[in-house]
Amino acid sequence: MKKKQFYSHIVETDSIVVKLHDMNLRDDEKAHLIALMDSSLHHVILDAILSELTTEDKKLFLKELASDDHDAIWNFLRARITGIEDKITKVATELKKELHEDIKEVHTK
Amino acid sequence: MPFFKSSNKPASHYKKLQSKWVERHASLKEQLLTKHRDSLDWLAENMPAKHHIAAGSLSGLLLLAPPTLHTLPATTVTQSVKDQPISIPEKTFLLTDLTTLVPDDVRPLTATEEANITSLLSDRVKIPVRAELQGIRLNTSYGYIGAEQHLMRYPGDTIWSHFSSPDEALHYAKSGMAPGRGAWGYFAYSKAEMTQKDIDREKYYIAVQTFLAPGFSQNVREYSEFFKYRKMLVVNPQNGKAMVVVIGDAGPAQWTGKQLGGSPEVMAYLERVDGRQKGPVLYFFLDDPQDTIPLGPITL
Repeated sequence: MKKKQFYSHIVETDSIVVKLHDMNLRDDEKAHLIALMDSSLHHVILDAILSELTTEDKKLFLKELASDDHDAIWNFLRARITGIEDKITKVATELKKELHEDIKEVHTK
Repeated sequence: MPFFKSSNKPASHYKKLQSKWVERHASLKEQLLTKHRDSLDWLAENMPAKHHIAAGSLSGLLLLAPPTLHTLPATTVTQSVKDQPISIPEKTFLLTDLTTLVPDDVRPLTATEEANITSLLSDRVKIPVRAELQGIRLNTSYGYIGAEQHLMRYPGDTIWSHFSSPDEALHYAKSGMAPGRGAWGYFAYSKAEMTQKDIDREKYYIAVQTFLAPGFSQNVREYSEFFKYRKMLVVNPQNGKAMVVVIGDAGPAQWTGKQLGGSPEVMAYLERVDGRQKGPVLYFFLDDPQDTIPLGPITL
């Protein structure tokens, strides 16, 4: 099982994984691309969250993140950022759209 | 049908997608590091002991990322973060970063690749690492390195007078002495006038293709003055070993298929060899006008 992130329930990646599966790649190639996708999403989501927080709150959030307590992370974020779920979903969707376009471009060439 | 299976499909689709996604990933990472550097530094310094890595390192960020990217191939995708070793050597992060940023094929780097790699190395060395300095750049910053011989440091310097200890001679005499002087002539006018700096310059020198630098033929004098003993950082991206060196000579010729040469000491430390087993290195200018960083091996 892939590590579950605190946002995993609102950011689906299956649509991309299925597309990669359709490309008939080798196992290690597929794993590398999925890892790149996961890590890219993680970076873009962290950036979106940190950009909404004050300097002090950034530290508190990173501490919560390091503890990996998902409930605590959500409680913290919901108390400080209005519509945080929507904001995370939005940046993730934008990145996934780019990844889908990359796959389409490579696949059709 | 199982998700993972073998495939005989050519790697071109993977290569193209991997290239795009690696570049995008590096860019997103850089954006995050740049925008939130203070907070991430703080985290690295205040991380609980079980996550501890080198204090102040931006690599602390990597502990927050999904673990999958840093350990390939597929078998590690299933590892949970709790299965990871408690202590992760800092070099692991460097090598992972270099693997992500350095292209598979040995060629001149793109502007984005140059920016990402020099940013990573500057962060490690703590002084600016540049592909271009004072408007001057080499023909490439990523190329195959070949073995050079020792250079005569002063008139009359021979392979018998060249080493400061029997141990040095034992290891490095076999490389021999180049028959002519280096591109900048002798390092010192005489043995009596030779300083430690001259000794180090010869010991830790590389030869680069100054003559292929863009603009060289129109500005030979200016460029030669710039290149003479210019301080550089040379890195073996496959083992993370790095050295602070100077440009001590011009070469090798284009037909050799190599882009630079290293003194016997440089080649030995970087664990690079010549001939069929030749390997690539990264090499960049160090912006160190106060001459603060000594020549020789450096830990990144």
